[in-house]
Amino acid sequence: MTANRWLSRLAPVVALLASMHAAQAADYTLLNVSYDPTRELYEDFNAAFAKHWQATTGKTVEIRQSHGGSGKQARSVIDGLPADVVTLALAYDIDAIAANARSLPANWQSRLPDNSSPYTSTIVFLVRKGNPKGIRDWGDLVKPGVSVITPNPKTSGGARWNHLAAWGWALRQPGATEATAREYLRKLYRNVPVLDTGARGSTTTFVARGIGDVFLSWENEAFLAVEELGEGKVEIVVPSLSILAEPPVTVVDKVALRKGTRDVADAYLKYLYSPVGQDIIGKHYYRPRDPAVAAKYASRFPTLKLLTIADFGGWAKAQATHFGEGGIFDQIYLPQ
Amino acid sequence: MIARRSWAGVFIGLLPVASAFAQAADVAGLQRRLEEQEQKTAVLERKLEIQDETARAALPNTPVIKAGPKGFSIASQDNANVIRFRGLVHFDGRYYLDDAGLGGSDSWRTQRVRPTLEGTLYNFVDFRFMPDFGQGRTVIQDAWVTGRFRPDFQVTAGKFKSPVGLERLQSASDIRFQDRGYPTLLAPNRDLGLQVGGNFLKDALTYQVAFLNGSNDGGSSETFTDADVSDDKEWALRLFSHPFVNSGNFYLRGLGLGVAGTVTDQKGSNTQTLLSSFRTPAGQTFFSYRGAAAAAGATPASNAAIQDGDRVRITPQLYWYAGSFGLLTEYINVETDVSRQATAADPVRSDTLDNSAWQVQLSWFATGEEETYKGFTPNSVFTLGGPGWGALEFAARYQELDVDDAAFDGGALSFADPAKSASAADSIGVVVNWYLNQNVKLGLEYEHTSFDGGAAGGADLNDENALLTRVQLSF
Repeated sequence: MTANRWLSRLAPVVALLASMHAAQAADYTLLNVSYDPTRELYEDFNAAFAKHWQATTGKTVEIRQSHGGSGKQARSVIDGLPADVVTLALAYDIDAIAANARSLPANWQSRLPDNSSPYTSTIVFLVRKGNPKGIRDWGDLVKPGVSVITPNPKTSGGARWNHLAAWGWALRQPGATEATAREYLRKLYRNVPVLDTGARGSTTTFVARGIGDVFLSWENEAFLAVEELGEGKVEIVVPSLSILAEPPVTVVDKVALRKGTRDVADAYLKYLYSPVGQDIIGKHYYRPRDPAVAAKYASRFPTLKLLTIADFGGWAKAQATHFGEGGIFDQIYLPQ
Repeated sequence: MIARRSWAGVFIGLLPVASAFAQAADVAGLQRRLEEQEQKTAVLERKLEIQDETARAALPNTPVIKAGPKGFSIASQDNANVIRFRGLVHFDGRYYLDDAGLGGSDSWRTQRVRPTLEGTLYNFVDFRFMPDFGQGRTVIQDAWVTGRFRPDFQVTAGKFKSPVGLERLQSASDIRFQDRGYPTLLAPNRDLGLQVGGNFLKDALTYQVAFLNGSNDGGSSETFTDADVSDDKEWALRLFSHPFVNSGNFYLRGLGLGVAGTVTDQKGSNTQTLLSSFRTPAGQTFFSYRGAAAAAGATPASNAAIQDGDRVRITPQLYWYAGSFGLLTEYINVETDVSRQATAADPVRSDTLDNSAWQVQLSWFATGEEETYKGFTPNSVFTLGGPGWGALEFAARYQELDVDDAAFDGGALSFADPAKSASAADSIGVVVNWYLNQNVKLGLEYEHTSFDGGAAGGADLNDENALLTRVQLSF
């Protein structure tokens, strides 16, 4: 029943994509390569932008979407997937595209407001009805018998945010050292029975397959699960501390210039910052940047203490320390 | 006593309650264990799902590696990019049964040693690189790139077979005899240039037009170290039809007929005469044009006969393969403007020589395999001590080559020496080929050749009788 409801949600997306293929060729075609949980957000936003673009320029634009784990998506773009724009989970993945594919400048993050992140999000816990394991904070995740669902940080941006939030919490416990934080993470991953490649896969694992007691989830994905399953089947638990996720967006200059889509790609991303774009963002449970729109949706979002990537020395350092070859994740993770 | 009885009564009365609690605890324990097992099963199933998803995602980038009788290849999943490793070795023996003729030493030889790299890129660019280390030399036989823009428009650039001779265009691994027939001695071999070709009417009609450096009769561009010796180029054209290839008539489907030709206007020199010698099927030269004879300084004692003007080749050709039987026949005529100024004091003699050759080949698979122009599949594979014997094929060939009599006119000033070169040769040959499998062939061939002229005093050269063997490895 649960799986059927999720499938029924995907069906219109598939139908839409099919009809887009069948439709008459548009003046422009954009490919937005994004991370896993943004399917529904960009489905709505793309329709709004296409309407806006036609109204302002008289031209039609077709936007195709590609979704997967953020790191995996970045790898695909480096390997030649012709993305006009990338909208990924974290800046490091776009930095990797800039460094390896040389298809956009190194200073890409300064080209749009708010470090090119039109919205923010954070990490929360999703637990079963009634929270039978009594999970309230990060410390509860390492208790014996607690099964934790999180994706693979090697491929998923959301998983990297999860990992850093857990690390940050562990380091802020009384008497904590790097060794105790490392031990905490070792115990946490010992409680993870399966690593999906992306956040949407983990949602399937937790929600559709009924595996695990707690799911370390993007905030928007947690709200979506509650909305889909109905309140009372799963519950959101807000931990004492989490992390400010700033998923960035940018144009892939080399592709857009080659395809002649630079202007429409620029406009597409700027529209994310418009009141209409920000409102769609808020509707899909992402935290808007625009103060007015943020105020409109403020009641949805709990207030909690948030670390930032700067607390970890920036993405380059965090990536090398935690997720690079031989990094902390490699050292502590033992496949179940 | 009464108190004791009371406690015993209470104890007995509580027994069912304790039992009920114990049963409830058992049920709860079982429930918990069942849930744990369900979780474990769900985790295992999910891991399998993820493995499948990962494998499916990786599939497009997983190459397909093949190894089989047709060679070794690595291909992308969509087959748009392919690289193939192929090879051909011909290890031959030649035994002259009568040394009174042209002579020649009985010998073993590696006629062809050709490792080949070929493939396809982006599903429309084909390429081939084929060196040849046979006969104690290193030659690049093929080095070409073809763009398959449309079935009827394909462009090839590089070094490739000139689109003229029917048997010449047949792969070396598919020819039935140790050497190709006389018409191939008059047709060009490989050349450098550009070619446009394609097919129409569902492969019923093919065409090639090539613009080439130009090569001697039977010769390749390596004769000129793979570079041209003049500005003049050669055009080649071939039209070939399989008129019944799409019909339901099984016996006519294998019929192919066509015509090809070349035209050029070139002038040779003492060092590059642009004229060729001709050999018997056993490899002995029976005709040569007069060459330059060296003298002191730069002035030769006598000059060579050279091509000096037009050379026009035309060759009607036909094959027909039906069931276990095969027929291949072709005729070629070459008109060549030739000149020679024997010495500085002699007048320049010019003429147009009209040389021609033809052959008929018949082949038959005694073991029932299907005869084709290109490749075949044995019905059985030879197995040591097993039931398979491979395929057995018999073939016979009759062929003639005729040199224009005008080549011998003029006495000492002639283009060819009648006391050393025959004006015609006819050969009859039979061969039995034993294909152990698709890759290994053993051939035993007998060739008998008769000549017109070629000996002192206008006499004919003695007949040549030769036994030829071949071991072929191809994949």
